[in-house]
Amino acid sequence: MPRNKAIEKKLKEKKLSDISRRDMLKMGAAAGAVTILGPTLLTSKKSLVFAQGAVAEPVLCAPTPVPVSPATTPFLDNLPIPLPAVPQFLSPTPTENANTAGGEAARAPHQRWAQLTPAITYQMEAKAATHQFHSNLLPSYAWAFNGKYPAPTVLNAYGLPSIVRFKNSLPTTTTSFGTPEITIHLHNGHTSPESDGFAQDFFAPGLFKDNHYGNIYAGLDDFGGIGDPREAMHTFWFHDHHAGETANNNYLGLNGMYFVYDEKDPGHEFSTPDSLRLPNYYGITDIPLILTEKRFCAAANGRNEMFQVVGNAAPAGDKWVVNGKIQPKFAVRRRKYRFRILNTGPAKTFNLSLIKPDGTQGTITVVAVDANFLEHPFDLSTRTLDVFVAMRFDVIIDFAAFPVGTSVYLKENAPQNVTGGGPALPDPAPGLPMTNVLMRFDVVGNTIIPDTPPVPADLVEMPDPPVPDGSFEWRFTLEAGQFKINGLPFDPNRVDHAVLKGSTEEWTLRNNVLAGNWVHPVHIHFEEGRIQSRTTRPDPVNQPGLNVPVTLLPEELGRRDVYPLPGQHTVVLRQRFRDFVGRYLIHCHNMNHEDNFMMMRWDIVETLAQLREKRREIAQRRAEEGVAPIYSKEELG
Amino acid sequence: MKRRALFPSVGRDEAPRVPHVGSPGAVGFTNALLRTHEDKQVRFYDDLIKGKQVIINLMYASCEGVCPVTTSNMIKVHQALKDRMGRDLFMYSISIKPEDDDPAALRRFAEMHGALLPGWTFLTGDPYDIETIRFKLFRWDHIKFDTDLDSHTSMLRIINDASNRWNEVTPMASLYTVLQHISWTNSPKPFNKVVEENEALQKRIDKEVKTYGYRRTT
Repeated sequence: MPRNKAIEKKLKEKKLSDISRRDMLKMGAAAGAVTILGPTLLTSKKSLVFAQGAVAEPVLCAPTPVPVSPATTPFLDNLPIPLPAVPQFLSPTPTENANTAGGEAARAPHQRWAQLTPAITYQMEAKAATHQFHSNLLPSYAWAFNGKYPAPTVLNAYGLPSIVRFKNSLPTTTTSFGTPEITIHLHNGHTSPESDGFAQDFFAPGLFKDNHYGNIYAGLDDFGGIGDPREAMHTFWFHDHHAGETANNNYLGLNGMYFVYDEKDPGHEFSTPDSLRLPNYYGITDIPLILTEKRFCAAANGRNEMFQVVGNAAPAGDKWVVNGKIQPKFAVRRRKYRFRILNTGPAKTFNLSLIKPDGTQGTITVVAVDANFLEHPFDLSTRTLDVFVAMRFDVIIDFAAFPVGTSVYLKENAPQNVTGGGPALPDPAPGLPMTNVLMRFDVVGNTIIPDTPPVPADLVEMPDPPVPDGSFEWRFTLEAGQFKINGLPFDPNRVDHAVLKGSTEEWTLRNNVLAGNWVHPVHIHFEEGRIQSRTTRPDPVNQPGLNVPVTLLPEELGRRDVYPLPGQHTVVLRQRFRDFVGRYLIHCHNMNHEDNFMMMRWDIVETLAQLREKRREIAQRRAEEGVAPIYSKEELG
Repeated sequence: MKRRALFPSVGRDEAPRVPHVGSPGAVGFTNALLRTHEDKQVRFYDDLIKGKQVIINLMYASCEGVCPVTTSNMIKVHQALKDRMGRDLFMYSISIKPEDDDPAALRRFAEMHGALLPGWTFLTGDPYDIETIRFKLFRWDHIKFDTDLDSHTSMLRIINDASNRWNEVTPMASLYTVLQHISWTNSPKPFNKVVEENEALQKRIDKEVKTYGYRRTT
């Protein structure tokens, strides 16, 4: 249809010129910035076109001397809430097999497609954008989904399988530190591997990829329907997982949140059967808090560009950012609120506490860790909430305890730079330096929406971890300046462990490195695990074999997908591998370590014969590489 | 089967060989004066990195641990990419014992391992400069560990100054993996080439899924 094609082309050109004009106007001040790629139209014989351009590429400031971020007035900006993602029809229609002719990135066919036919579809378009991190700062160049920083939040429900089309419209050449090929992982969805954002499956600008999220509970095979409802998880996040480039791309902004509702956590506060009746109106009483660290260059070309804080030798960030703003304020009413705290790294751990107007520590009630409700919530009022990279904590704060007109603060243990080297500001509360304030809650009035009932003492029932079918050990080490697991750095083409579909294994995570004292927040893809024990070596030099038990924290008693692993610690956990087969990952979620290839690939296989074959392959490969064997003769069959 | 089909398409990087705007340049890489195994003086950035795609490893002539294995694996990489080597792709082996390794010693090491090959240069220089370069290129290293020469990193650093892409890979990985990591630093391709390669990858995936039931390697 030549006529249609001509019209289509015209429309595309028109749209493109509109975009560039609008964005040019928006960034009038940025006229000095270099535009690396003007709008281009590239046509192949398959008539796929890819148009890009619009946002001027950044002119990064010199790496030395390390810039000190400019001063920012605290509590000037309101806490932004990412808008909910709007479902939309996709063209071309998602298909079971990759629609490469239509521009989809190559992949294996979606598993369980007929069973989990997508009922709802979204598009997340990764593209260059600008975002203002504070009213005192000029906009910064960022990579953002649908141009928004943070990305729109996907609000979904169990039993409603979905496709999220990740469209890559990033610039093919960039002066930023990002790498424009992306692969998106939904942390920690029960997702088949072709939609799991495997680190090597990145695709180039111009292509898209349909990630098929079943929004099902683990246990489809055993339970039928939509799986075992006791496996419910609610607070997910998606992010780029490009091997070796994860930290930079996430720092530029390629991440967002993804909630899944069910009867227990229905997305409203009415009294319905099974509802836990926690604060649950998205953006009103149920608020995402997406934390990250940043450092900014001095103003130039109409921008305050982000300074690269990625890499072991790189300086850390000196500004703490919540939902894309530095030290924001949030107006609350006298009732309970739920905050879904997420640390997007790239490397910093946040140690949070609630500080009351009188400077003493307030109470936070933790109801969920890593997307899983705890069996019993617990109050945290004497220690900090330690949020390692990629961890999620759902917490309840009851502002009814504070009079109208007062302010409550979220404190981060590490100080940030507020005044850009200027004189310190007065403490907002007794004993609380301004530099330690992450954000402020202003109690502005009595509640309009009726408060939810007290947090139930019993939230969920958690299935007992089954008796394991096998065991495996992952050793996290640092050898010759290289982070390794089981003696090897990541190789996406090498399998490092194979498990049988439907089985359960007891995995040991061990960090016996003597120097460095790294805490590795270890993340295991696919299913959630249950911690069985944690031990430490009190005297690794003289008694290397001595391990003493460490009492588990209340947040370790639930299901987890991130396991902080300090030096000398060993964590034993049980995990199941149900419903899907293929390639998955285990890695340190300190994105610097992950990019230094502290990551391993493990595969779920269908049959015992495949398992034996694969394990023999692994054993042979390890022998060739000259590293210690990991399977006993028995395990190799 | 054609040999080429066995490997990921590393291909010739057809982009113009000029430094990328974001390149750390002479300041970032240093422009230290080094000596080659042919006893020539070279500037680190201007002569060795600028606008080029390079593979760099650390070694020293008397190293009997990981260096010989690394070198022999690098020879395999060299063979696989020999029509690019010395044209737009280069290998540099930098001595981290520059006091011991004069150009003649490096030449002997290269000769002994069969590494006197086009596009592959062994380098020595002032210890201070080498230490600086080492820190800049292998910045992930834990400082405490890397002051110990016996356990220096064995990773290959891959840099394309024309696209400002950096990568790293262990030389112990399969040749397939090493070549793939090199290709990841290639300059961006025209979109029609991207589409072509995407189709080719899909064919390989389809074949694997048919043979093994799921995607295994590619």
